[in-house]
Amino acid sequence: MKLLTHNLLSSHVRGVGPRGFPLRLEATEVRVIPVEFNPDFVARMIPKVEWAALLEAADHLHLAEVPKGPTQGYEQDETFLRKMHHVLLEVEVVEGTLQCPESGRVFPITRGIPNMLLNEEETET
Amino acid sequence: MVRNGFKRQVEARMDHEAAQLEKQHVHDVYESTARYLSDLQGKAWPRVRQFLQDQEPGSLIADIGCGTGKYLKVNSQVYTLGCDYCGPLVEIARSRGCEVMVCDNLNLPFRDQGFDAIISIGVIHHFSTKQRRIRAIKEMARVLVPGGQLMIYVWAMEQKNRHFEKQDVLVPWNRALCSRLLSESSQPGRKKQCGHLERSHPYHPPCSMCSCSVCFKERRDSKRSHSVDYEPVRARTCCANISKEAGEENGFYHTLGKSFRSWFCSRSLDESSLRKQIERVRPLKNTEGWATSTISIQPSRHSSLDRDPQEPFSTREPSSDEDVFVESSQKHLEWLRAPATVKHLRGDHQGETGRNGGGDCLGSTHTPEECAAAGALGEGKPSAPRTLRRISTVDSTDSTPDDTIPVEGQQPDVLDSRAFMRYYHVFREGELCGLLRENVSELHILSSGNDHGNWCIIAEKKETCD
Repeated sequence: MKLLTHNLLSSHVRGVGPRGFPLRLEATEVRVIPVEFNPDFVARMIPKVEWAALLEAADHLHLAEVPKGPTQGYEQDETFLRKMHHVLLEVEVVEGTLQCPESGRVFPITRGIPNMLLNEEETET
Repeated sequence: MVRNGFKRQVEARMDHEAAQLEKQHVHDVYESTARYLSDLQGKAWPRVRQFLQDQEPGSLIADIGCGTGKYLKVNSQVYTLGCDYCGPLVEIARSRGCEVMVCDNLNLPFRDQGFDAIISIGVIHHFSTKQRRIRAIKEMARVLVPGGQLMIYVWAMEQKNRHFEKQDVLVPWNRALCSRLLSESSQPGRKKQCGHLERSHPYHPPCSMCSCSVCFKERRDSKRSHSVDYEPVRARTCCANISKEAGEENGFYHTLGKSFRSWFCSRSLDESSLRKQIERVRPLKNTEGWATSTISIQPSRHSSLDRDPQEPFSTREPSSDEDVFVESSQKHLEWLRAPATVKHLRGDHQGETGRNGGGDCLGSTHTPEECAAAGALGEGKPSAPRTLRRISTVDSTDSTPDDTIPVEGQQPDVLDSRAFMRYYHVFREGELCGLLRENVSELHILSSGNDHGNWCIIAEKKETCD
């Protein structure tokens, strides 16, 4: 699971609503998988990122050199873009957990795949 | 109010039953057969590919119901997240280097308005009630940005060369059949062979990934209808995985495997009818599984069955074409009269309580004999076997299955294989559009049409006004 994916995930435990974001990330196994750098692609992603969630997740993974936010003129700032490229796309959580901040419910990440299924009781409306 | 409370209970029960049906006839089937799917990946639907390629570079895209990830790498300029309910399928996609997760379309684990585009290819038709289909679509709309687009593909009821008798169908597939057909015909120039022959337990979902000659032959003969799953192939009975022993605590499936060419009268699993059924249903003898609707099981070929001498009609000779769907000109009828342990799936009467035949055992406590005797009219009086006309019906309540074949008299499945049955709600023309228009006001339909036997729609999330 990449951090860009994590940035989109939210708990859907019944009753939690927007307080289910972001999920608290813990990892027992992390891998770095090189991905071809596409500056245009990364630049376009930047406005879509929820920064606080990204920083929190990066922090839990003990990542260094994570930009705190978009810099002025970031679209042309290759250093910035490369760092963001690395954080968003190259860091993979292989084994870990995602925890709902509101309900405490834990979702596993196994072999890089988050399992977000809930039981029937947990989702009943 | 008491009435509201009761209504909620009924709805909850219906939803639970629907979930059970989907578990048995969608999720468990995919899960059991996933391992065979990676070799059977077909091409992506061109129009879906085009939709993905048309997205802006840097877009965030979700493929809800991604299966083994056929569409996840179509466009390298976008970030595509694949989601599927089936773990094994997702594992396969993962092994191909895709970014994927396991989740439920009905409860998407995403924050609102995160995605620029979403595709839902061959998914919505697996939901067994209208409410669930709406909910699935609304969930996707929720996680779309305003202005973002959603593409949906569902299997069409209207097929060029064949007919679905009902909208709610269980489509089986049969391994032996597929093997035989494969050996009989060959498709020069076809790159993919489904490899049935080599496998001891080849499995092929209806239509999909099956580069099965059955499918190819169909293709040659007609504009392929359907297949929504992974390949533009008609859903047909292909290879069955017989290893799924009715771990089915359920005599139903066991029986079904044996008398595989029969089908039940089907009904729509619509809410109103379902509700009526649930309110009426008495406690089941065997409470496992879904037992409250009647669904059409599309026959595969080799319809010949051993029959009672009293049967007034004869079975159709197996044709050289695997035939999943009813031919509109056919008049034969094969009715499965299930043993007492069999679950009869029941469905929507739409007020025509009498109309449905053998398959429609209104009371779960009816024995199959009673059901058969009750005949189509559900009036509780025995009726002489009548010819069931396999005609395509526009109205899902029309069918009048007339006759039943005693299962007890059945030989073991002639094809000596079991079938996995996958549930589909096939859509009528206009139904998908209607569904969105009436129930999902946050989406605006941009275009719709038919693509190889699938109804397709592209809709856009409306801009929010506040």
